[in-house]
Amino acid sequence: MTATATGSGAGTSRAGLGVTALWLGPALALIVGVVLYPAVELVRASTSDYSITGLRKGAAGADNYRRVLEHPDLSTVLLNTVVWVAAVLVLSIVISLGLAQLMSKEFFGRRLLRWAVIVPWAASLVITARLFMLLLDYNYGILNQVLLSAGIVDTPVDFLGDDRFTMPSMIGVGTFVTLPFTAYVLLAGLKGIPDDVYEAARMDGASPWQAYTRITLPLLRPALMVATVLNIIYVFNSFPIVYTLNDRNPGFAHDTTITFMYKLAFKSAEKSVGMSAAAGVFNVLLILVVVLAYLRISNWKEATDA
Amino acid sequence: MNKRFAAAAAAIGGFALTLTACGGGTGAGTAGGGSASSGAAEKVTSIKLVAAEYSKENTAAFWTKFAEAYKAKTGITLEVQVVSWNDIDQQSSTMVQNNNPPDILNLNVYASYAKDDLLWSADDVLSDAVKSDLLPNFVKSGTYEGKMYGMPDLSSARALFYNKDLFAKAGIAAPPKTWDEFVTDAKKISALGDGTVGYAMPLGPEEAQAEYSIWMFNNGGDWKTDGKWSINSPQNVETLKFLKDLSVTQKVTQNNPGKTNRTDGAFALFQSGKAGMVVGFSPLAATLDKDGKVSYGTAAMPTKDGGEPSTYGVTDYLMAFKKPGNQEAVKAFYDLYYSPDQVNTFIKNEGFLPVTQSGLEVFASDTKLTTYLDTLTGAKLTPTDDPGWDRVKLAVQQSIGAAVAPDGDPQAVLDSLQKQAESGS
Repeated sequence: MTATATGSGAGTSRAGLGVTALWLGPALALIVGVVLYPAVELVRASTSDYSITGLRKGAAGADNYRRVLEHPDLSTVLLNTVVWVAAVLVLSIVISLGLAQLMSKEFFGRRLLRWAVIVPWAASLVITARLFMLLLDYNYGILNQVLLSAGIVDTPVDFLGDDRFTMPSMIGVGTFVTLPFTAYVLLAGLKGIPDDVYEAARMDGASPWQAYTRITLPLLRPALMVATVLNIIYVFNSFPIVYTLNDRNPGFAHDTTITFMYKLAFKSAEKSVGMSAAAGVFNVLLILVVVLAYLRISNWKEATDA
Repeated sequence: MNKRFAAAAAAIGGFALTLTACGGGTGAGTAGGGSASSGAAEKVTSIKLVAAEYSKENTAAFWTKFAEAYKAKTGITLEVQVVSWNDIDQQSSTMVQNNNPPDILNLNVYASYAKDDLLWSADDVLSDAVKSDLLPNFVKSGTYEGKMYGMPDLSSARALFYNKDLFAKAGIAAPPKTWDEFVTDAKKISALGDGTVGYAMPLGPEEAQAEYSIWMFNNGGDWKTDGKWSINSPQNVETLKFLKDLSVTQKVTQNNPGKTNRTDGAFALFQSGKAGMVVGFSPLAATLDKDGKVSYGTAAMPTKDGGEPSTYGVTDYLMAFKKPGNQEAVKAFYDLYYSPDQVNTFIKNEGFLPVTQSGLEVFASDTKLTTYLDTLTGAKLTPTDDPGWDRVKLAVQQSIGAAVAPDGDPQAVLDSLQKQAESGS
């Protein structure tokens, strides 16, 4: 923030520095304001002792962190998070691979398909989640009526209340809203693969399956990696779907670390801003570690340089 | 680790951080936010009200008109912010954290704020005429450690709603008076088939404490007895077991009552004519009247052995934060709010019940409200005067539902709540 003063001296290098600062200034201010300041406040809150009203009563040291780690539901929440992120990620990538292939082909109605795929992305997540609540409802849900009238089930399925179905239902909706972004990243990747590579492969007698596994997938790797990394972060941080679809269920049985953090602050008996902030710090560290590990394993540099 | 990798990692880390930071409301603020030295400070020219949104149609409109009347009377500007019930806890907590509370806050709890010494008491800001007009049970629930801090803005009392058509079809002549009759009637209604349930029971997190309270009160139980927590008293365990049996053994409730919320669950079922009975309140009656689909009656709750029924009452509060120079302005606010045209208009618009003696007389002419008004002065409330309740209430919302599941253990859940309550207060 201090670097915004322009050099009034004669030296060219100082003038150059001033100009540099001027160009970088807005971006730096944005980073400080949007990233650094909240991060500092988050850490500050996590080491403070708060009353249930939100009044800061003093420093808490590492107490909030300890209380989060000792929380009896923490292991459930972590397991839920792993299942949620992994399932949504894998499902959306696999389905998007097919969708992207389809969208890249020339056929009648392609434009319609492309629109249909992108529409869910344009809708607010809360609204999408609410719509799915209606679709999946036990008493009036359309899905249950279809299943009943088709004779697949005898009694309605409680998709959102039955413990066996809650997480799969959330994963289904999560995948649905993750598809547009993923499919479009992969479509862009497919478009970047030159046709002559396929032509050469055909000349050498490669089967379509061989062409797909030996050419498409390897050349799609940069796009797949971008989609994976961004989706890990999006899905991990996804709040509206898990919160909305799960709002009837007491306790933490189907919460992920993000909704856990929110409930700690406002809904659960803990009602502690400090604990919630500590959980927030853990969330940041967790996603950072996961993403770094993924980049390490998949050798990000090699892939993106290719 | 090479540079490019590090840069990418840093960028992603920053991204993740931003997303996370947006998720949790955090802020700065230190204790002593309410340190006001009355008199010494200059008088304020404007005060702020944060009000809960009871309805989209009426709440904001009422407060806007109220602010005009207030300005005309006192010359002080009243800044009004209406917040939905979903967000108000979060907003008020963030305001206190940031050391920037409103002058008046409308919420369903107050005791924790009084405990943190943030509030003006009635002695400071309520005129005697107003205080003596308030109904005694609400004065009691608004009093923390001998002083009144929570001024009731409106009240509601619950009653048993029953679907007259379903009752007629099942051949039931009158609403049940005892638990045995209740079970018998509910069974008859469930037997009608076609997805009909005898009783719609919302024990999900939205308002489990209300549903459980009214049953508890009608078995002679209470949250606190003689100033001590009595959550796991034998009657209370019996009550919760009874509720579990309604669902698991008798099967007269809707599916998964522990995971059904009030508004979009139990009320929705009753409104669609699929439920024989539900515990409701006057706003539900207003909705039912507007829809005109369900022919319903209201009755007092059944008690375990047919004794005198008691009802569950709720009041929300208007509390005033101690801020330099705002005492007179706050007092003028309350004086105006509790003037009969204001408070009764507000309550009537929102479809709730009065909190004052003078209000009771005004509302007495409305025959639709007779069921509630008769019970209002005797209505039992949850122990909102205990700051510990603010936490216990949340624990109840998050755990009662589990007790009525097929594998739920009412005794264990109540024992754990009792332990939590005792350790917190």
